[in-house]
Amino acid sequence: MAAEELPSEFDVVILGTGLVESVVAAACSRVGQRVLHLDRRSYYAANWASFTFNGLLTWIQQHHEESQSEEVQDRSSLLEEGEELIYLCNSDSASISNLQVFCYTRETHEEEEEEAPTPDPDPADTTEVETSADGDNGVKETSETVSADSKEKETKDEASDEKEEEQSQAPHTDGEEPETAQPQPPTAPSQSEPVRKKISYTHLVKEGRRFNIDLVSKLMFSRGSLVDLLIKSNVSRYAEFKNITRILTYRNGNTEQVPCSRADVFASRQLSVVEKRKLMRFLTSCVEETEEQQVYNGRPYLEFLRDQHLGDNLQHFLLHSIAMVTEDTPTEVGLTSTRHFLRSLGRYGNTPFLFPVYGLGEIPQCFCRMCAVFGGIYCLRHSVQCLLVDKNTNRCKGVIDSRGQRISCSHFVVEDGFVSAERKKVATPPRSISRAVLITDASILPSDSDQQVSMVTVPPIAAGSPSVTMVELCSATMTCAPGTYLVHLTCQSVGSAHEDLSPVVTRMFHTSESHDQDERPSVLWCLYFNMADGSAAQVEGHDLPSNVHMCSGPDGGLGHEHAITQAQSIFDKILPQEDFCPPAPNPEDIIYTEEETKKEGVEEEEEKETTKEGEEEEEEKTNEEEKETKKEKEEEEEETKPLKEEHKAIQPEELWRAEVLDLLTQLVLVQKEAAQHQAQVVQLLGMLGTQNSQQIQDLQNMGRHQSLLVENHQALLLQTSRIANHLHDITKKPAAASQ
Amino acid sequence: MQQELLFKVLVIGDLGVGKTSIIKRYVHQIYSQHYRATIGVDFALKVLRWDSDTVIRLQLWDIAGQERYGNMTRVYYREAVGALVVFDVTRASTFDAVLKWKDDLDSKVTLNHGRPVPAVLLANKSDHLASQQPKLDSFCRENGFVGWFETSAKENTNIEEAARCLVEHILNNEESPMIEREPGSLVLSGFTNATKGHLNCSSCVKQ
Repeated sequence: MAAEELPSEFDVVILGTGLVESVVAAACSRVGQRVLHLDRRSYYAANWASFTFNGLLTWIQQHHEESQSEEVQDRSSLLEEGEELIYLCNSDSASISNLQVFCYTRETHEEEEEEAPTPDPDPADTTEVETSADGDNGVKETSETVSADSKEKETKDEASDEKEEEQSQAPHTDGEEPETAQPQPPTAPSQSEPVRKKISYTHLVKEGRRFNIDLVSKLMFSRGSLVDLLIKSNVSRYAEFKNITRILTYRNGNTEQVPCSRADVFASRQLSVVEKRKLMRFLTSCVEETEEQQVYNGRPYLEFLRDQHLGDNLQHFLLHSIAMVTEDTPTEVGLTSTRHFLRSLGRYGNTPFLFPVYGLGEIPQCFCRMCAVFGGIYCLRHSVQCLLVDKNTNRCKGVIDSRGQRISCSHFVVEDGFVSAERKKVATPPRSISRAVLITDASILPSDSDQQVSMVTVPPIAAGSPSVTMVELCSATMTCAPGTYLVHLTCQSVGSAHEDLSPVVTRMFHTSESHDQDERPSVLWCLYFNMADGSAAQVEGHDLPSNVHMCSGPDGGLGHEHAITQAQSIFDKILPQEDFCPPAPNPEDIIYTEEETKKEGVEEEEEKETTKEGEEEEEEKTNEEEKETKKEKEEEEEETKPLKEEHKAIQPEELWRAEVLDLLTQLVLVQKEAAQHQAQVVQLLGMLGTQNSQQIQDLQNMGRHQSLLVENHQALLLQTSRIANHLHDITKKPAAASQ
Repeated sequence: MQQELLFKVLVIGDLGVGKTSIIKRYVHQIYSQHYRATIGVDFALKVLRWDSDTVIRLQLWDIAGQERYGNMTRVYYREAVGALVVFDVTRASTFDAVLKWKDDLDSKVTLNHGRPVPAVLLANKSDHLASQQPKLDSFCRENGFVGWFETSAKENTNIEEAARCLVEHILNNEESPMIEREPGSLVLSGFTNATKGHLNCSSCVKQ
C-alpha cells in the first residue's frame, strides 16, 4: 500500500477503468505488453461502476459538490527538445447530470428495534436540503414535506456503516445526506398495507453492503460479443452469471409476460392456438433472409409486421420486446435485431440474456484482474496531467502523471471524459441516456418464485416520450438486500432523467406521489440522473496524435456490442499482428519448476487438441464421453502430482529426472490413448449422424446446423399443432381447415 | 464418503514482504532468492489431506505484485474465506501497513453471515532476526487476527503451522450454518473447463 514511484517506461498507458479501457488493458497485457492502468477516481470501472448503497450515496454527494478543478500546474519544464504538451481535463463531471434523489420510506420503523447504537460525534445535520439544492445540477425541490426528525439516528448509522465500507475510498464527509427530500407517505404504511411491512431507510443503510448498484443498466446477449470474449479469453472464470428469467412488457396498464422461447410460446396462456402458430411460423421464417423481407427495406418494421397479419398482441411482442425497436425503425434493422435476439435464445436459459452476479461493475474489474495477473500495473486516484507529443512526428512519446512524473509509452489509451471538448468530435447535439435506479419492496409481476430476474420493455407511454427498458433484479443476483428489488430504468434522453422516467415510475410503482392504494410495488428510494451517451462520441477524427486512442463511455444500447467492438478496434490499431485476448491458462494446469513447465506446455497442446475434437462435436451427444475422459485426466493428474513431489524430496536429481520423464511419457501415452478413444467417438458419431457431418468441420457450421435442427423441430411441432387444429376445426367448421 | 472442500485464501501484505516466497515454499516446497513477478497465475493450489474423509483444496491467491499499489479489484477479494496477512520483520513500515490491509480486507469481503474472514498474521523473514521479538498476542486480539506466527520462507519455519491454523478457523466457520450460495449461477467457459466447478464456489462441498 506504499505510495512509491511508478516505473517510468511502459508500452501502453491507459487512463480510465471503464469497460473499453479495461478490455484493451487485458488484451495488451495478455500478449506481453507492459501496461500501466490509471484512474483518477478512487474506484474501478468509471461510469460502468457499481456501488454499495452507501457507496452510491457517496458518489451522489461527490457529484453534487462543486467539482473543483485543480490548479493546472505548468509542466513545460519537463519538456525536451522538439516536444509539446497536450493537457487533459481534470474533471469528468460533465458526463453525469441532473442527479435527483427521492426517498419514499420512513427513517426507521416504529416496531424495529435499534441495535448496536453507535456513539455519535456529530449533531443532527440540517444542511442536507441546501447542500443538494446548491449543486449546479438544478435539483428539483419536491412539494413533499421534509422530515427532519430522526435524521440524527440515520446520520449515525450512515457514518458508522460507511466507515466500514469506504475505508479505502475517497475522503468522505460524514453526515451530509444527499437526499433532496424525505417525503412521508400520505397514509401510514402500517394502516394501508397490513401485510407488507415497509422497509425503512435505516434498514437500507444497514444492509447497504448487500447492494451492488450499477450506474449503467445493460444485459449480456448469450451470443453477444461480450459473452464470446469472456469465454474466449477465460476472463469468465472471474465471474458468475444469472439468467434473465423472464421478459415482460407493459401494455394497457398491465405488466405481461412475453413468450419468447419455444417452451414459453407453447406454455403461454395469453396466446390463442392460432397466435401460437403464427408466432412460431414468423420466428422460424425470419431467421433466414427472404425476398419478401427485402421488399420492405427502408419501410418501417411495424408495417412489415402488420402485413404478416399477426394481430395486435404478437405485433406488440415482436416490435417492443423481441426486436426492441420503435415504431419507425426500418424493417431491415428490426429484422437484424430480431435475429440477434433469436440467436441468443436457448444457449443458457429461457431468455437470451445473462446478468453478472454482483452486477455489471464486475465485468471491467474482471478484465483488470486479468491485466494485473499478466503484469499490468494498477493505480487508482492517479491521473495523467498531460501528454508529451513529438512535434515532428505528431506522436505521443509519453505522459506526465498527476505527480509530475514523466512516463514514456508507445501508445496512450484514454477515456473520452479526460479529453477536452475542443479536441474531440462528438455528435451534435450531445446525446445522453436517462437513468433511474429504484429500490422497491416487491416484484413488478409477482410469481411463484420471488427470485425472478426480469427485463421489462415499456413502449412510449405518450406520443413523443421515449421507450424505456427496465431491468428488475432480485437479491439472488447479489445486487440488492433480501426482501428488496433493484429496478433499473434506461432510455435515450428526451428531457432530463426525471422528466423522461418519472411518468413510468409513477404508473408502474406505488410512490407517495400516487395516492391510490394498490398492489403495485412501493418505491423505497430512487435516484435519477443523466449520463452522456457513449455512442455519441466518435472514435475517429479527433485532434489527437495517431497513437492516442479514445474510448467512449457506456452507450444506451442493451448489449455490449458497441464497447467490445471499440475495444477490439483499438487493440488492432495498437497491435495489428497480435491475437485479441487469447485464452489465459488455467491456474491449476500450471506447474512451476522450469523443466516441467516446458514439458507441460507440450502436453497442454495435446490436451487442447483432444478437447477441441470433442468441442467440435455436437455438445449434447459428446457430453457424457467428454466427462469420462476428463475424469480420466483428472485422475491421472491427481495421481501424478503427489508422486512428483515425493521424488523431488527424496531422490538425487538425476534419478528424479528420469523418473519424471518416465511419468511424463506415461502421461502422454495415456492421453494419446484418450485422444484415440475420442477420435473413435467422433467417427462413431459421424456415422450415426451423416447429415450432421458438416458440423465437425467448424464450429460456425455447427451453430447453423443446430438452428436448422431447431427449425425442423419447430416445423414438426407446428405440424403436430396443425394436425390437432385441423382435427379440432374439422369437427366444428370444416371450411376453416386450410393452410 | 470423502468430502472435498475448496477454500479461497488471500495472501496479502506490502511489496517485498515475501508473499510469493511463502506460497512457493508452502505449495511447491521450493525457495529461491529471486522471483520474477508471477505472470499469468491467479493462484497456487495446495491439496491437503486433512483427515481420512476430508480433502481440502486451498487456493492461495497472490496479489499479483502488479496490484502492489493497493488497489485490489473486487474480483480478488470476492468469496475468499481466509487470509494470510504478511509483513517483513526487518521493515517496520510493512508492519504499519498490516492494519491497512486488514481494514481493506474486512471492508471488501465478509463471510455469508457478515463476520470478517479469519486472518492469520505472518511475521516473515524471522531468520533475519537474532533477538527475541515482542509478542503479538494482544495486537492480534485487538485487531481481529485469529493468530500469528513468526515465519521464514527461507528456512521453512512455521508456514505449515500458520496455514493449518487458518484452515482450522475456516473449518469452524464452515460448521456454523451458512447461507447457501444461491444455486443456479452460471459459469461461462470455453474448452478449458475441467475445473470450472472449483473456481467459483469457495464454500461448497464436493463429493
